[in-house]
Formats: sequence, C-alpha cells, structure tokens
Amino acid sequence: MTWSAYLPGWPLEVSPALWLALTLVVAVLVGEVLVRHLKLPRIVGYIGIGLLLGPGGLALIPQVPATEWRLVVDLALGILLFELGSKVNLRWLKANPWIAATSLLEASATFVVVFWLLKWFDVPAITAAVVATIVIATSPAIVVRTVTESRAQGQVTDRLMLMTALNCSYAVIFHKFAVAAMYGETGASLIHTVMPPLYVLGGSALLAVLFGVTFERLHHHLGHHEETFSFVLFGMIAFATIMAATLKLSPILVLLAAGLITRYRRKRTHTFPPHFGSAGAVLVVLMFIANGLAGDLGGFGYSLLLVLLLITVRAIAKLLAVLALANQSGIGLRQATALGLALIPMSSVPLLLTMDTATAFPAFGSGLGLVLMSCIVILELAGPIVVQMALKITGETPDKKI
Amino acid sequence: MSLMPFASSRPLSIGVELELQLLSCNDYNLSSSAPDILRRVEKRAHPGEIKPEMTRSMIEINTSVQQEYGGLIKELSALRDVVSDTGRFLNVAIAGGGTHPFQHWSEQKIFDAPRFHHLSELYGYLAKQFTIFGQHVHIGCTGPDEALHLMHMLSRYVPHFIALSASSPFVQGHDTGFASARLNSVFSFPLSGRAPFVLRWDEFERFFGKMAGTRVVESMKDFYWDIRPKPEFGTIEVRVCDTPLTVEIAAAIACYIQAMSRYIMVEQRIEPEEDDYLVYTFNRFQACRFGLEGVFIDPRTHEQRSIREDITDMLARISDHAQELHAVEAMERIRDILIAGNGASWLRHAYAREHNLADVMQLQAELWMGK
Repeated sequence: MTWSAYLPGWPLEVSPALWLALTLVVAVLVGEVLVRHLKLPRIVGYIGIGLLLGPGGLALIPQVPATEWRLVVDLALGILLFELGSKVNLRWLKANPWIAATSLLEASATFVVVFWLLKWFDVPAITAAVVATIVIATSPAIVVRTVTESRAQGQVTDRLMLMTALNCSYAVIFHKFAVAAMYGETGASLIHTVMPPLYVLGGSALLAVLFGVTFERLHHHLGHHEETFSFVLFGMIAFATIMAATLKLSPILVLLAAGLITRYRRKRTHTFPPHFGSAGAVLVVLMFIANGLAGDLGGFGYSLLLVLLLITVRAIAKLLAVLALANQSGIGLRQATALGLALIPMSSVPLLLTMDTATAFPAFGSGLGLVLMSCIVILELAGPIVVQMALKITGETPDKKI
Repeated sequence: MSLMPFASSRPLSIGVELELQLLSCNDYNLSSSAPDILRRVEKRAHPGEIKPEMTRSMIEINTSVQQEYGGLIKELSALRDVVSDTGRFLNVAIAGGGTHPFQHWSEQKIFDAPRFHHLSELYGYLAKQFTIFGQHVHIGCTGPDEALHLMHMLSRYVPHFIALSASSPFVQGHDTGFASARLNSVFSFPLSGRAPFVLRWDEFERFFGKMAGTRVVESMKDFYWDIRPKPEFGTIEVRVCDTPLTVEIAAAIACYIQAMSRYIMVEQRIEPEEDDYLVYTFNRFQACRFGLEGVFIDPRTHEQRSIREDITDMLARISDHAQELHAVEAMERIRDILIAGNGASWLRHAYAREHNLADVMQLQAELWMGK
C-alpha cells in the first residue's frame, strides 16, 4: 500500500471536461450579470466567455477536439432549427405573398452585394459565390433564443422567424451547389459535380418527411402528455441529427424542414416548453459557449477592411430589401427597420457551413474562411443585442410595468 | 360638466358594437396586434367603423344605424370579412367569445391613446383584467323619457340576453362553471350594475348633475351599467352580452332585443316599478352562472321557471313584432340556440373533445372568421 494507491497524483490530471463544466458555470453566471446590470441578452455572456477563455482569447481552457464539440453543436442546433421550423407558419406566405417577395429580395440582394464586394477584392468568382451563399443565412440559434428569452410576439417576431427559416434554407441549398461547382473547378467530372447537391437535398428532404410523419404518429398517441412527448421528441431530434450526419446529409436542412413540415401538416397548434425542456436548454447554452470557443479573429489579420465591409454591405442589403417592400407587406417604417436589422445575426449555421467548406478545401479555411469566421464572431456578439433592441422598439416584448 | 341633450333617433333603429379578440396563430394566445390590424384596415373601404379598444389585443367593430335584420347581418358580415382578411394577411386570428380562455391579464398592453392610459392609471390592474369582449346593442328611441321607460322595462329581460349570448366559461385556464364569466369582471367596477330608478329625463339629468358634482363621473362613459342611455345617439345601449361566437348570432340577439323593444313600446304598455329590481341581481346571477338552465323569477307574479322557458314564452309573444321588423330568420336562430345551446356549451363541448384550450381557441377563431 502506497500513498499513490488512494491519493491523486500530482500535478492533477484533469480531463478537459472539468474545464468545460467550469466554463458552463462561469458563462451562465456572467450571462445573469449581463441581464441584471446591463440589460443585455444572456447569450452574449455565453458566447463572450467562450471566446474569452478559448483558444482564440486567453486560451485558459485546453483545446477540445472539434469533433467532440460537433455533436453538442449539431444536437443543440437541431433542437433550435426544429423549434424554429415548428413555429413558422408557411401558409402565411400564401395569404401574404409580399413576405415571400421580401424574403427572396433580401436573400438575392445579400448574395449580389457580397459577391460584388468580394469580386472587387479580387476573390475568384467561385469562392465569392460560396461566401455569398453562406452569409444569406440569419442565425436561427440567436433568433430563436432571443425571442424565447424576451418572450416577444408580434409582426416583427413572426416575420423574423419566418424569414430566418427561409434564408437558412436558401443558404444551405445554394451552398451545396456552390461547393459542388468548386469541386468542378478542381477537375471533378460533371456527374460528381451535380450528384452531391442532389443527393444531399433529396436525402435530407426524405429524412425530413419521415421525421414529420413519425412525429405526427407519436404525437397522436402521446401528445396529451406534454412532458413525456418532449422526451420522445428530444430523442427523435438527436436520432435525426446523427442519422443525417452518418448519411452525409445536411442536419441543418433535415431538422429545419422537419419542423416546417410538421407545422404545415398538423391542424392544431402545439406549444412546447422552450427548447423542448431543460435538457435541450442546457445543450443550447453549451452550443453558444462552443461557438465562442470556436471563435477565431484571425480574419482581422487577413483583412480587417474586408471583414468590416462585408458586415456593412450585408446589413445594408437586408435592411433596404425589407424597407423596400414594407408597405406592401403590411408593416410600418419602424417595424421594417427593426426587422431588417434583426436579420443581421450570424452564428451556428454559417459557422458550420464555413467549417464544412474549410474541411473540403483547406485553402478556403486559411483564406476567406478566416474572414467569414471573424464576421461570425462579431455578428454573434452583436446579433443578440440588435435582435433584442429591434423587438423592444417595436413594442413586441412584454411591458415591464403593470 | 352637464349631460348633453338627448338626440332624437328613429325608433327601433339598431346598431351593434362587437369587441373582438386578436390572437397569435402560433399559440392562439392574445396578441397585441391592434395597431397592425387598424393600420391595414384604414386603407380598405368598409361599412361601419373599426376601432381600438382598451388593450392592444382587442378591436371593436361597429355597424352604422340599421333598421332591420337583413341590413344588419349584411353589414356585420362585411365587417367580419374585412377584419378576417386583414388578420390572415398579418398571421393574426380573430375570434368572438366573451373571454380568452388562458390569457394572463398582466401580459396585456394598453392601447396608446390618452383615454386608455387615463383609465389604466385609474383602475390599475382592473383595466387589464378588462380584456373581455362584449356585444353592445343600441336601440333607437324617439325621446329621452321613452328611452328611460324602455331601459327599465328591458331590465327585466337582461337574463335572456346574458343566457343567449353567454360564451365565456373559461378564464385563466380553467372552467369557471359560469356560462358568462365575463360579467364577473364587469361587476368589479365601482359604477357597474343597473341605472337608478328614474323615469323622467329631467330627473335623470339631476341625478347625473349630482354625480358629476361629486366628481365621481365626468360623462356617461364612466357608468358601466348593464343598460344605459346614450344621449348623443338618442339610444339606449344594452351592454350585458358576451360577444357571440359568430356574427349571425350577434345579429340575431340584436334583433331579438329590437323585437322585444317593439313589443314593449307598442303592445305591453305597462309602467316599470322599482320593485321589478328586487329580483334583478338574483336573476342576472342565475343567467351568468347557469345560462339557459338558470332560474328566472318573475318580479310581479313571483313565478319560477327556467330562463329557456321564459325566452320560449317571449318568442311567442313577440312573433308578430318580429314579423313586422322582418326578423323572422333572427327568431329562428334564437330558437336554435334554445335547442342547440349557447356559445358556452359549444366551447365546453369543444374542450371535452380537444382537451386543450389552445385548440378550442383555434376552433373558435375558425368559426368566427368563416371560410
């Protein structure tokens, strides 16, 4: 019997998970401080702490392999995307086609101005197209989380969620085509340029429909017990996310489309607890911390000017597009301004698309990918604040006083 | 401030005001969309008026002055279609019914207008708890004394109007057991209840002068009586009804009141007595609590019967007057309510089937919006 048999060795050998657990505690506490004293959204704290303690900042916590994080991020994002989809009423587009028009205008304007900007910076057309498709997306994570936290409801809130769901779909779909074209550039045969996007889109759509049908069946039998049903749903989301990744489909598209399909098909509304219960909520917090940890400001060194210009022209394109059709679509000037600005946040979806592109094309990761990552970091921190303010100035958050 | 003179209006002309619920299509909770809806309907031609109400989750539709059922139902349907189309365009559902089944009063927002802010300051949480939805029916009277006469004679039948229109069994997520729980919220206002028993307009003016002198009231608007005179319109206003679940029922109830008024003015010719009010609050409570099954005590004969029986009896007595007023179809609808039940029983059946108040609210909105 020696000391070492029952006392821990020195120096302590701790697993990285310990530091992550500690980060979770600190991030949540910082989030509370932000809410109470600065009236800022909590997620700014989560992302900020991740950024500060992670490799991009003070590097206080050891690097965790991206693949280990990826599961948490995928799951949490899956929950948020399904949540977003299931809150969005696609039938509204039929009653008010001007919203569809606004969405298409906003997305194409974003693509055009960003593409044009990058061309002006002598970026090759195909790479510019990839970046321009990625930045079409508004962050569903930030939108859903901020709307949930501020308990907002009204025209701007509803339209923000609908337009976010739509522009994420555009981004994912056109990103597949742009990446396929990139492969084409590198000399892949035509069949291998056309097939990947079709496989991903078709496969994802099929999986989403299967999810939707199963959801309906289960809800029919278990729906009256909200909590039990939430547990089952949570398992289904995890299953679909992992299945989509295994089949090399797009988990983003699968979960978003599944949410939209279930909402479209069912006759009655269902309200679920935020993020389908506290397990979901914890994952969501972890995801924001992970996003912070993955934050990389290397793009500043690459071209600070490009980062700032990209953010600016993208914001202007979205804002002007919404303002242009505000009157026809039935919202006032103040609401349209708020909606245009609230479309600015970028977070997990563009982050994952950027990371996927960088994995396939390492040159992208060390070049324009860095610029994109820096844009994402800035819009991830500023995004929740902008969305919160937009919902507040339009009077869509609850009155504080009686 | 003195009372304005009683304007003359064509006798038995009718006007209807309906307060409507604005709902989010996501969860069918109340949604503060009145400014959006009003901004949009402003641009569309429509009869009558569409106006804001106390909180931002309600709007009011008013018909113009009508003479009979045909014109009334046409105008109400047109108003319903305008607000429903606007609602669809903005992803807002619109519904009748006297209460929202699960809204929380503290989440309501006061509509941005000086009068509403003043009331909100005065009444505090009562103002927000006043997120309830009623139907008001105006009946034209030739002169002020005739108006007071009609008001006191109609008071006896207030339980009829409550029981027929009752459609607010659910409040704050629970079945209250009442057919019209909405009126319980009205009763908490200090100046609710019935008008004082005065039969001549000069007496009424004196009463109003004394009240205004105490500075308790400034205008007739400050009285939340079940029936009150409306001098500027030359009408009396019946205010006890819940907003029914469809405009058809709203129009039928308005014409039932109209036909009864004709009966009172033309045929009945008896004077109201102060003792008629002895059973007033009892009868009204029975109507709120039990609807058509409630007990009705006749103030003169002391005879007891159900409100349903009393309405059946009244329908027989006023049928000639209804015919004169071209309101036969309206009386048929009233008879249907006696058989099939009022809005409260429709809502309870829907809840028994759906087990979920949001689903009930969705069905309620689909019923109201039509199509």
